[in-house]
Amino acid sequence: MRGVVLLVLVVLACGSAVLVGPDLGGDAGRFVVWQLRVPRMLVGVLVGAMLGLVGAAFQALFQNDLATPSTVGTTAGATLGALVALVFGVGGGVEVLPVTTAFAFVGALGTSALVGLVAMRGRARVSDVLLAGIAVTLASAALSQGIQAVADMRALFAAAQWSLGQLPQLGFGGVEVLAPIVLVSGALVLSQTRPLQALALGEELAHAQGVSVRRVRLLVLVGGALGVAACVAWCGPIAFVGLIVPHIVRRTTGPQLRTLLPLSALVGAGFLVACDTLARVVWSERELPVGVVTASVGAPALFWLVLRRS
Amino acid sequence: MSVLSFESVTLPGSDRPRLNAVSFSLDQGECAFLIGPNGAGKSSLLRLVLGLERATGGNVKLADRAVTELTPIERAARVAWLPQHLSFQDALTAREVVAIARYRFFESRDRALESAGQWLERVGAMALAQRRVTQLSGGEQQRVKLAALLAQEAPLLLLDEPANHLDPAQELEVYQLLRHEWQRGLSVLCVTHDINLVSVVGEPERVRLLGLMAGKLRFDTQLSDAAMVERLRDLYGIAFTEVVQTGDSRVFVPARLSTPEEGEP
Repeated sequence: MRGVVLLVLVVLACGSAVLVGPDLGGDAGRFVVWQLRVPRMLVGVLVGAMLGLVGAAFQALFQNDLATPSTVGTTAGATLGALVALVFGVGGGVEVLPVTTAFAFVGALGTSALVGLVAMRGRARVSDVLLAGIAVTLASAALSQGIQAVADMRALFAAAQWSLGQLPQLGFGGVEVLAPIVLVSGALVLSQTRPLQALALGEELAHAQGVSVRRVRLLVLVGGALGVAACVAWCGPIAFVGLIVPHIVRRTTGPQLRTLLPLSALVGAGFLVACDTLARVVWSERELPVGVVTASVGAPALFWLVLRRS
Repeated sequence: MSVLSFESVTLPGSDRPRLNAVSFSLDQGECAFLIGPNGAGKSSLLRLVLGLERATGGNVKLADRAVTELTPIERAARVAWLPQHLSFQDALTAREVVAIARYRFFESRDRALESAGQWLERVGAMALAQRRVTQLSGGEQQRVKLAALLAQEAPLLLLDEPANHLDPAQELEVYQLLRHEWQRGLSVLCVTHDINLVSVVGEPERVRLLGLMAGKLRFDTQLSDAAMVERLRDLYGIAFTEVVQTGDSRVFVPARLSTPEEGEP
């Protein structure tokens, strides 16, 4: 029942993303709707779903509310990789996005591998893994700033713009490249639902019950890294979706991963698309970066949730 | 046939070995209690059986195959574990928690939930099935954990202080449940401090007691052992006296408690 309500809200968000805004009428109007708004909405759906799903999966994997791609180093690594691509020369546009994604993926895999080095040790505690994630995040962020410091002005502006988080106008070409990456990565993460669920009773008991803890860590980290890398390459690091969406869904439908993971993807899609529509229309002069909206909506919402709990 | 064997197993520790050349074997259908002071290595011994620790010397075998050679699923089919500390973080229902323990069976979710219901029934906790485990009392949670232990359907049960923090009635229930499962043919290895509840599980001559101290196996005997008082003194370093009982049970209390001296607090 609550799932249906969520689904309706998401569909409303997607519909308004296409319909809200000035109607130019005629061919121009059709172009705006079908070649600009619809593909942009689809990118929002894919990226939001990915971030929501990976956030929920990481929270289950690390058994910690704070674990998200942004806190365990995945986003920071992807950002670093994508910045290298942006600043040192591959340029912009749809045709280079797979290249940027590859760089972002290498970055995300690099940081995930470092965190994984800790996570794969049999006796590593969850808190150790999170600490490693925070260390890697801080180091990557510092490197990213270093790269921006040595970049030339034009590249710097592009990088700064990108790093605020924005759904790009890429048309259907962008959707066609992004969709398969998101689907593969999402399928990989979702395939681990059962072992992830077993981790809810603690890694040691899960191990005793037959779960290969190292395997589930590896698959979820790699799957998450791939999906987040693609999202970051396309849209820049978008804050708060991976953190707040699983929290909201858990409060609505409970902690069963079988529903929590797919619904986090669904709500993530709706949340990001709705924020993007706001970003588009809230200020008539110019568009805001969607990352600014997700953070300014997400942070107070999260704060309220935490206050209400304690 | 042995379900579990330790062959001269050594597990290193920071200053002294946590286990030092420990050897014993447990046959199919046997019930053994592992006793000894805190820090003796009891929990480490259980963790070795689960592959949560790796021995540096000797072999730990589950039904004639080394633990380290088994896949996680194969190991889970041979041995199930009730850890000493297990706190529920997620507000799953009792039935969902027990269904998770069915991981080793490649069965549908519905089948797992149905089976979970049967195991909850078995431990007398069917009424808890739809309750959230985070809202259950300690005794109720322990029942759910026991149902999960059994739901794994392994022939060997490892329990680590299963009656810890329970009230006397609940303690008794746990050991009675253990008795039933043992009589059903399961093998049991249970770490405990409740020496006096051991005879709830079975007749003194059929229940094995393994005494572990400072990583070494000090004795491997039955509860019926005539020298039990001396063995307990050796193990814990304080004098014990036996309280004479009618029937099968044996009760040991620290000597200071049984004969309070005048003038002392």
